[in-house]
Amino acid sequence: MEVSNSCSSFSSNSCHSESSVNLSLSLTFASTSPQRDTRQNWPPIKPLLRDTLKGRRIISHGDDTSLFVKVYMEGVPIGRKLDLCAFSGYESLLENLSHMFDTSIICGNRDRKNHVLTYQDKDGDWMMVGDIPWDMFLETVRRLKITRPERC
Amino acid sequence: MNYFPDEVIEHVFDFVTSHKDRNTISLVCKSWYKIERFSRQQVFIGNCYAINPERLLRRFPCFKSLTLKGKPHFADFNLVPHEWGGFVQPWIEALARGRVGLEELRLKRMVVTDESLELLSRSFASFKSLVLVSCEGFTTDGLASIAANCRHLQELDLQENEIDDHRGQWLSCFPDTCTTLVTLNFACLEGETNLVALERLVARSPNLKSLKLNRAVPLDALARLMLCAPQIVDLGVGSYENDPDSESYLKLKAAIKKCTSLRSLSGFLEAAPHCLSAFHPICHNLTSLNLSYAAEIHGSHLIKLIQHCKNLQRLWILDSIGDNGLEVVASTCKELQELRVFPCDLVGVGDTTVTEEGLVAISAGCPKLHSILYFCNQMTNAALIIVAKNCPNFIRFRLCILEPNKPDHETSQPLDEGFGAIVKACKSLRRLSVSGLLTDQVFYYIGMYANQLEMLSIAFAGDTDKGMLSVLNGCKKMRKLEIRDSPFGDKALLADVNKYETMRSLWMSSCEVTLSGCKRLAQKAPWLNVEIINENDNNRMEQNGHEGRQKVDKMYLYRTVVGTRMDVPPFVWIL
Repeated sequence: MEVSNSCSSFSSNSCHSESSVNLSLSLTFASTSPQRDTRQNWPPIKPLLRDTLKGRRIISHGDDTSLFVKVYMEGVPIGRKLDLCAFSGYESLLENLSHMFDTSIICGNRDRKNHVLTYQDKDGDWMMVGDIPWDMFLETVRRLKITRPERC
Repeated sequence: MNYFPDEVIEHVFDFVTSHKDRNTISLVCKSWYKIERFSRQQVFIGNCYAINPERLLRRFPCFKSLTLKGKPHFADFNLVPHEWGGFVQPWIEALARGRVGLEELRLKRMVVTDESLELLSRSFASFKSLVLVSCEGFTTDGLASIAANCRHLQELDLQENEIDDHRGQWLSCFPDTCTTLVTLNFACLEGETNLVALERLVARSPNLKSLKLNRAVPLDALARLMLCAPQIVDLGVGSYENDPDSESYLKLKAAIKKCTSLRSLSGFLEAAPHCLSAFHPICHNLTSLNLSYAAEIHGSHLIKLIQHCKNLQRLWILDSIGDNGLEVVASTCKELQELRVFPCDLVGVGDTTVTEEGLVAISAGCPKLHSILYFCNQMTNAALIIVAKNCPNFIRFRLCILEPNKPDHETSQPLDEGFGAIVKACKSLRRLSVSGLLTDQVFYYIGMYANQLEMLSIAFAGDTDKGMLSVLNGCKKMRKLEIRDSPFGDKALLADVNKYETMRSLWMSSCEVTLSGCKRLAQKAPWLNVEIINENDNNRMEQNGHEGRQKVDKMYLYRTVVGTRMDVPPFVWIL
């Protein structure tokens, strides 16, 4: 009945409490494979899916989070990508966008002269930027669009 | 039976198409072997290194279709280095020399070069169908040769390949005289697509039934394509950024309504939420839906779509649909046979995922379910026991709990009993993947009950060699066994060497198997290729004084009738 098990320091046929089993197994496994701590190539999904998921907006690296959204200027087919976490609020966002697209962009009120910033929320609806608190905005925004002045 | 002339017997054999059945037929007697040999049209080779092209041609001189598989399954998850092998070039060369009337070539996990594609396109006048799955090594230049030279091409199906996109004009290489296309799938191409060439091609292909676009095909182009091909049965949508009020979108809606033959939908590689509602009118016709790449679509939109899909048989989706989304599937899709739920969030900080509740709901609501692949964060034995009771007809059951070694989250017990219930109840089970906290007990159950099991995937499971031994001794029909990060060693590996002659292959990585164990196995079984894949410490294994006891990082063994392969890269060592 006794099976030699080169990696286990406890006998395999006695009862253990759940936590000690977990602990023993994790200690045990730490010694068998040098790659154990990196859990390489896990979970088992194909590279194409992995890349698609990586291309998603939210990327967390420990404490830093990036939230990339696409920004389009109406009439311009090529868009830009922006990390919204790099901004402290609406003001710095607008400033940066105005600089990026070389035009004046405002949010909130309709204006005949300036471009107005709108966003698509998680329900798919297009909304005016600026109505909700910045944190809430970050949670719901999916993409940005800078509309022509008369549109809104 | 021998009072029938050979032509009659051959005619009878024509009705037998499964290669397993034909293999069996050829064992009946010499005369049947001979007749079968000359009449076999489709040859299937599950491991390209188990045999060589010369022997293939000697046995089956008249075949028209060849299926070849190269790298082992775990290559899909980056466990096999790119240069390991699986080259199709020698096969195409031999077939060309042998003047085979090749019409169809299906390759999986093989290395295909532009040179191979060029040779293929020039060597076989009746060539009709090229299907490449998870292959690599070629560029769009190779596709251009196929397009230009294969005059009777019906099928060009590229599934999840790594293709170097030279942004060339391969689509415009199809001559104007090419009107025979039935299937065109280039969803995995990353680069721009010549939309004009594509539209012209689709417009002159009245038999086109399956069209899968890449992400470079925008919405307005999609609308035009669908208008050209209202007979389409299988559609892969590329890019789907849209503005619901735009003219393009309205045109698309009109085009979709005309596609009354549409049964299968996939793609949505870049998709905005509102897009899906355009497809609602034809959802009741859909039998297959693959939204596993639609990472940007929120669960609620997925649910709204699925509510219209009453006839769905196959569903591939991301876990952003959530348990309540799966409940909607369970109550709507009564014809569901196959379900795959992929993880949306690999880091584990996601908002919605699925749990055991979603799985139970599906098992209760979908009586025809026979295949499942389910990624989840947590599972319980109780849930698995209910699932086994609800669905005793599983053929494929693959469960992947994202955190390795995770126990039953309610009782903190291993999941042995849950999986045990599955193998006990599902007498037709052919494929199984296990995960979570598992002891040797689960393998005891698998060995005892999984009589029809052909493929088993094990990761981070088991305690001792007994586990692996239970499987090797019990599962008489085992063909492919793949194990990673589990404490199985030489004792299990060497217990029954002859077992491996009945199997296609065995993969063991990050286990307890040692170099001396592998050497002993190779000695005892000269008809096996025992490969050690050692990317990092190439020669250290030999020079090191403790070589015998050193653990092998990756071992891949397979039966073969042609001995050691000649195309071994430096980091692979065949014992």
